[in-house]
Amino acid sequence: MTGPASYGEVHGPRVGEMSRRSFMRRIVGAGVGLLSLQFLAGSLAFLWPNIRGGLGGQISIGTAADIITQFPEWAAGTPYIYNPARLFIVNVPAAKALVEGQTPDVPDPGTTFGEDVPLADRSVLALYRKCPHLGCQIPQLCEQSEWFECLCHGSKYTVLGEKRDGPAPRGMDSFAVSVGEDGGYVIDTSEVISGPPVGTATFDTRGPGDMPHCSG
Amino acid sequence: MTMNERGNPIVRWVKDSGVWRSFFRQPYPTTSRTRALAVMNNVFLHLHPVRVKKHAVRYTYTFCLGGISFFLFLALTVTGLYLMFYYVPSVSRAFQDIQAIETSVAFGQLVRNMHRWAAHLMVLTVFLHMIRVFYHGAYKPPREFNWVVGILLLFLTLMLSFTGYLLPWDQIAFWAITVGTQMALYAPLLGAESSFFLLGGIEVGQNTLLRFYVLHVIFLPLIAAIFMIVHFWRIRKDGGISGPV
Amino acid sequence: MTIEKRPNASADKNAPTQAPRVPVVERGTGPKLPGPPGVPGTERFRLLAYVRQESMVRVDKRPDETVLTWPHLLRAEFLMAGLISALLVVASFFINAPLEEMANAGNTPHVAKAPWYFLGLQEILSYFNATVAGVLVPLLYLGGLALIPYIDRSPYKAARDRKLIWIFFLCLMIGGLLVTFIGSFFRGPGWNWVWPWDGLFFTL
Repeated sequence: MTGPASYGEVHGPRVGEMSRRSFMRRIVGAGVGLLSLQFLAGSLAFLWPNIRGGLGGQISIGTAADIITQFPEWAAGTPYIYNPARLFIVNVPAAKALVEGQTPDVPDPGTTFGEDVPLADRSVLALYRKCPHLGCQIPQLCEQSEWFECLCHGSKYTVLGEKRDGPAPRGMDSFAVSVGEDGGYVIDTSEVISGPPVGTATFDTRGPGDMPHCSG
Repeated sequence: MTMNERGNPIVRWVKDSGVWRSFFRQPYPTTSRTRALAVMNNVFLHLHPVRVKKHAVRYTYTFCLGGISFFLFLALTVTGLYLMFYYVPSVSRAFQDIQAIETSVAFGQLVRNMHRWAAHLMVLTVFLHMIRVFYHGAYKPPREFNWVVGILLLFLTLMLSFTGYLLPWDQIAFWAITVGTQMALYAPLLGAESSFFLLGGIEVGQNTLLRFYVLHVIFLPLIAAIFMIVHFWRIRKDGGISGPV
Repeated sequence: MTIEKRPNASADKNAPTQAPRVPVVERGTGPKLPGPPGVPGTERFRLLAYVRQESMVRVDKRPDETVLTWPHLLRAEFLMAGLISALLVVASFFINAPLEEMANAGNTPHVAKAPWYFLGLQEILSYFNATVAGVLVPLLYLGGLALIPYIDRSPYKAARDRKLIWIFFLCLMIGGLLVTFIGSFFRGPGWNWVWPWDGLFFTL
């Protein structure tokens, strides 16, 4: 090499060809980019919530008889509030009779469950007490209307969790119910099942104007 | 060089010593030259140029809104640091800790109040600062990028305030955050996942408190500080504060 | 353009010692004109540098255009910092930060409101479909604000020269302020309309 004048000629790329330098630069750039992506993915995985126990696991709430001992009104259709997981345990046959104006007494609603069974035909529903609108806690069934009425923003649901009024985008969310080894109900709280879409109506077809309410 | 011809001989001796003069390179600046040097040689003052445009120091031009926002950020850092000494982000302790700060820590109530009111005030001043900048058209080239950085800082300010809102773990905090984070569930894509990630679970609980605490005391302030550095740097590089309309 | 007045050709030593970063147009010195230095009518001019006027570095620095940071700007900052500190301490001395009873997931208060700066969003959420209100509105709001300099490309700063962007900005501001105001002061239990004089449901 004689001097800077010939420098470009010796090392420069031919027209239309990538220089070694820019090739290396792209390789290094791609490598750094790949590593950054890995770091990001790893961070997300690290920070992903890891739930042990409580809401998020399998919760056993006992048999129908256990519920009746704690809360006798359950046989008459009033949902049982299971607070550790913020659930309404709805006795569906009793609740149906209640809405139809009878005074039911269903101490054991049975064990009919399953995703493909319509809500009204299931024995027991585990409705999540968190309002799908903005997450307020839904209070116990309103006595005047036999509906769940959220006091925060006025969303109203039938006893099956079907939305009837207010700003909520869908019905109340629920969790899958099954029967455990001891014959009691087991609630799977690992996955929230989205509530039925607006407009779903099975046995309770009343509108918001048909009766008095607890919330405005 | 003897700087103090007169005065107390001890003071004179201290000020003439090599130690003093290594700390303070020049006497109190009284001339244009020393004043320029004072700004130039000090790392904190160096945030500013040596000279600024005359309108930039008029109170009614900027209302000092950007500066006040930055000052509130500093005040929040200091008061927040104080509060951290007595606060444990645990659902069984957080509320009691806040009560203890209010009742049994000297000036505890005052520090908590200052932190709270400064936080609300900062959201307000950042917002007003944005309106002021828009009014003067100060987002025009070459300052477009800095406007975008500013919007990002507005977002970070809101997030800082929001994450701090949960920490007292009282009913206001719990339900405000429940309602606020539930909005994330409405995102059409990955709404449930982002809410789960943010809350560290299905609903507001211990994981949420810890996550919000970490975000509030280190992650978000750090990100905000980095973008503030960019913001201030760009002001200087884009030719100082913009001119009047 | 900056034009330097040169009494005579030998004044080159007064020229800036630092090399200008911007293109320099230098003309030949030309033949020496008759006449003593400084006498009107005999000076010659030459272009030394072209300096962009946005820059703080300017050759033509008129004396009253800028002020020294120390003391003018620092004094203003010091005063403001003192004022805000005083305000903060006094306010914190008299007004206590709210603290209700301990959080209880099993007891929803009758009024559940987000922090005040999200109340506009919560108000919108009661009008529209959740996806629109909860996601599109905040995204478009912040995105719209960030895009302002790219929507308004004109170099003019006076309000009459940028009516469109002013309308856009005012819509965002007034709209946001309005819904925040309604959400803050006109909503009570069940998110029902409550006049502020019938009951104020607002906590800072």
